[in-house]
Amino acid sequence: MTVYVLPEKFLAKEQFTPSPFLEVEISNSEINLGESFRVGTVSENIGEYGDIHIVSVAFPSLSKIDDIVRIVSYDFSNSPIYIVVGDKIGANYSGGLESVIAEYPTIEAMNRPTHPGTKYVMDLQVTPKIPGPFVVYVKSIDIPHTSSQSHYPQEGKMDHQGEYVLAYTINVNP
Amino acid sequence: MVIKQKYIGNLLTANSKKIFLAGSVLASFGILLVTVGGSWDITNHLLNKPETFFSPPHALMYSGVAVSLIGAVVSIIGYRKMKDAKFVFRLPLRLTFFGIFLLVGAGPFDFVWHSNFGLDGLLSPPHLTLISGMLFCSLGGMFGIVRFLKFNAPRKILNYLLVLGILPVWLAGSGIISSLSLPFSNTDYFEFNPDPSLAFVVATLAYPFLISLICITSAILSGFRPGMISIVGGLFLLIYGFTAIVPNFAMIESVEFYFMNFIPFAIADLIVSSKKTKFSLFVSGGILGSVFYMTYYPYVMYTYNEVLLGKLVSPSMIYHTYFELMLQVIQFTTIPSIIMGVFAVMISFRFSNAIKMEN
Repeated sequence: MTVYVLPEKFLAKEQFTPSPFLEVEISNSEINLGESFRVGTVSENIGEYGDIHIVSVAFPSLSKIDDIVRIVSYDFSNSPIYIVVGDKIGANYSGGLESVIAEYPTIEAMNRPTHPGTKYVMDLQVTPKIPGPFVVYVKSIDIPHTSSQSHYPQEGKMDHQGEYVLAYTINVNP
Repeated sequence: MVIKQKYIGNLLTANSKKIFLAGSVLASFGILLVTVGGSWDITNHLLNKPETFFSPPHALMYSGVAVSLIGAVVSIIGYRKMKDAKFVFRLPLRLTFFGIFLLVGAGPFDFVWHSNFGLDGLLSPPHLTLISGMLFCSLGGMFGIVRFLKFNAPRKILNYLLVLGILPVWLAGSGIISSLSLPFSNTDYFEFNPDPSLAFVVATLAYPFLISLICITSAILSGFRPGMISIVGGLFLLIYGFTAIVPNFAMIESVEFYFMNFIPFAIADLIVSSKKTKFSLFVSGGILGSVFYMTYYPYVMYTYNEVLLGKLVSPSMIYHTYFELMLQVIQFTTIPSIIMGVFAVMISFRFSNAIKMEN
């Protein structure tokens, strides 16, 4: 019974598909050098129960985060992870089976597990140190990553991990 | 004052063996808490990835250490007041104290390890110290309980203390096998995961051996009392069910499957208690050994997945992967697990004799 009947019953059951949704608010599209802008993220699992909910904010304009980026609000269950240039990181939504080397720094927020309907907040304050365009990439991924529904956005620009991101550019005037 | 002290001294001497029994019971109960906390801790790490040493499962585990420590102190009070038969309780006392020494040392060792290397895996030096301490201490408690029951012919109800004695041994033994076979031990600092093929062999041979050894030994020690294997097996399933399955939202529905594992334990119990022959014990040992993949649901899947599928399995995918692997695992493991179950029966006779001091 346990070997032949029940496994079929359990295999027939659909696996949970968590699905992230992300809202990003950038406080300014233009600032003067020395001023700060905020990156506000509110994310949610709008799908089914999942194991991990991730929000990732990357800074292609930087080589190091240092004191340029500060977390001002954070309510995820796990501490933020700071990915530095040269770190080995997962790629192509493979959960670590495929990997690449990080080309720019990233802050990764993680909540384990993730129940549907729960909202997560991470706000960052960014104070660029050089003038010019300052780029921010934001994305969210839920694990298990079962289909394209398990990441947000589902199209657009791709980052160094081969994963879709929402891209924002803030002009920093000299 | 002097008379009062003398009276207490006489009272302790008269009840020294009962005091020793109380110490053994506390030592075993403490280890039961540690093992339950340990199983819960594995689930907690898998689901929540806690980042501090101070978590509810750790609190339960170290409360258990405290209870066992009290048990060890009570045991030595009883032992020192004994006028006769001290040799009967010497080995249980030594085992308990060696276990407590390891357990108490493992606490600060674990804290220092966490502080220096962050989150540690299942197999790490402090965890191995802790689990070894659990095993020795639970053996001490069990030996103490069994020897008291053998030499003091207590009321029948006390015979069920045997269950409390043997269950922590099973859970602690399972902890050691899990540490040596589950791929949960790589961290940022160390790669302690066992070799997948070796882990496959360890799990296939050791889990069936342990299930059969524990259940058949409990039957022999209880004088083939009907229900003994069912109680021990049922409690084991209950503990694993509530610490490894129920906390995982994605696996709740498989509780029904897991508790069906009680059936082979009840069948083995029925065969052993009705026939009471060596052959019936071997049959039961084979049955018990053969159901190890089901008994150790869900985490045993990770060991076999490493070799047979190599999938990345997050907690909500456990049961799909487990059932996907089931037939393949059974094909590979049925014969060796039955053989190990039968082999464990032979060892059970020797083990029971050693515990009861019979030749």
